[in-house]
Amino acid sequence: MVIDCHVHVQGNRGTPDDRMGYLLDYADRVGIDRLCLSLGTSRDYSPDPETFRRDNDMVWRAVEMYPERYIGFCYLNPGYLQESLEEIDRCIADGPFVGIKLWVAMLCDQPNLDPICERAAELGAPILQHTWLKITGNLQYESTPHNVANLARRHPDVNFILGHSGGNWEMGYRIVQDLPNVCAEVSGGDPELGQTEMGVAMLGAERIVYGSDAPGRSFASQLAKVRGADITDDQRAMILGGNMRRLLGL
Amino acid sequence: MTDTAIIDCNANLGNWPFRRTGYNTPDALLERLARVDIDRAWVTLLDAVMLKNVGAANPWLAEMVAGYEQLMPVGSVNPTWPAWERDLAECVDLGFRGVRVNPNYHGWTLADPIFGELLAAAGEAGMFVEVALHMTDERHHHPLVMVPPVAVDGLLDACAAHPNVAIVLANVKNAPASQLARDADGELPGNLYFELSHFESVGGVQALAGELGVERILFGTHAPYYYPESSVLKVFEECDFSEPELAAITHQNAERLLASLQAGGSQP
Repeated sequence: MVIDCHVHVQGNRGTPDDRMGYLLDYADRVGIDRLCLSLGTSRDYSPDPETFRRDNDMVWRAVEMYPERYIGFCYLNPGYLQESLEEIDRCIADGPFVGIKLWVAMLCDQPNLDPICERAAELGAPILQHTWLKITGNLQYESTPHNVANLARRHPDVNFILGHSGGNWEMGYRIVQDLPNVCAEVSGGDPELGQTEMGVAMLGAERIVYGSDAPGRSFASQLAKVRGADITDDQRAMILGGNMRRLLGL
Repeated sequence: MTDTAIIDCNANLGNWPFRRTGYNTPDALLERLARVDIDRAWVTLLDAVMLKNVGAANPWLAEMVAGYEQLMPVGSVNPTWPAWERDLAECVDLGFRGVRVNPNYHGWTLADPIFGELLAAAGEAGMFVEVALHMTDERHHHPLVMVPPVAVDGLLDACAAHPNVAIVLANVKNAPASQLARDADGELPGNLYFELSHFESVGGVQALAGELGVERILFGTHAPYYYPESSVLKVFEECDFSEPELAAITHQNAERLLASLQAGGSQP
């Protein structure tokens, strides 16, 4: 089973419902079975509770429309802590979502994240945190692998997914190498040869997961990082889906 | 992976100063490309980008590919360097069919008069000119070597002024490609080609082929800096091209471009 751990609703083709359908058409062509979906169409760096609830409702609808394909990740703004905790309960504890997605609303090692991590641990929900290390300058509250590492040390019982492997993966892998509760996902950057091989060498194949960041990125360009990597077939199978099955309890 | 003959119009040999790339010798590159059923490639020398005396890369590349008929060398020229015309002439003497430029790494723009001078000289020599808009992700550049992408401002004017010179945009992303299509108002010049290794988004190659015209798209991988599987999977698995469209993208457009080259100006 191939699981893409990083897919979004946004895009400029048709309605969100249309996009959920056509994304599956393309996913079918490249052999992706399940897609972890997060964020709606707001693209708001710091969404208020009404906005992140509306975004999550779009994901919820996709999960209901295609329950065998989409897996919901609940989008939060830790700046609205109480509302975020309530949203975790609405979407994960009482709803069909299985994970948490955090983007660029707050650096992820701030104290507000601690209650969210504690609730994630209770529910067994992994946290997918966007990260990037940009020499051109990060957004004001855009986390880096350093921030994830700080949070992961405080919450060893939570599984974290390092979004985009920090973008600059040669640095990102080093920063989280010694944290067994952090997996790195390969999405969002250019399909640079050697990325997956270095991840496997430094973290182990059991801590690398496939993601695409579709529809902004091509499913195919990101799959190439795994399908083209000089690794064993067993390692490839773990990265393409086995590891996410383990993290999600599928 | 496919029965369609593929020409990779954007492969590289040699070394990139900021990462150790594997598969960067002729034998290793051909072996790596063969895994995805690519057996012919246009190749540049990565070392050329950061050389001060860029022209020194050309005999070096010619020596590397000697005896490898599957590899077609593409020379390098910096038209701001003294007597660059000699470098272009040397590329002709070496049997090269085209030259690549890296304006951002060499301190000039496509709106500068020097670009027109280069196009005129290349046309006289019967060579195509390839413009590399990026080499690597600008967000991850070495902190002492931060190089912005090449702006395409002025490109359409240059194409119009030199209609008999084939111009290839290599490493071109969706945004500048779409910008050029909009600026041209549906009438992109016939001498302009787009290499697809940096096209992104779900179904992006097919969408851009619709915007730009299938006849302008050249298959390229940017290997070994990129996994060559990226372009192959984008074109053959993610998109749904017809057989004639696949043939055009994977080899016929490149063959037509090369067939058009002749001293005094190509006939795109």
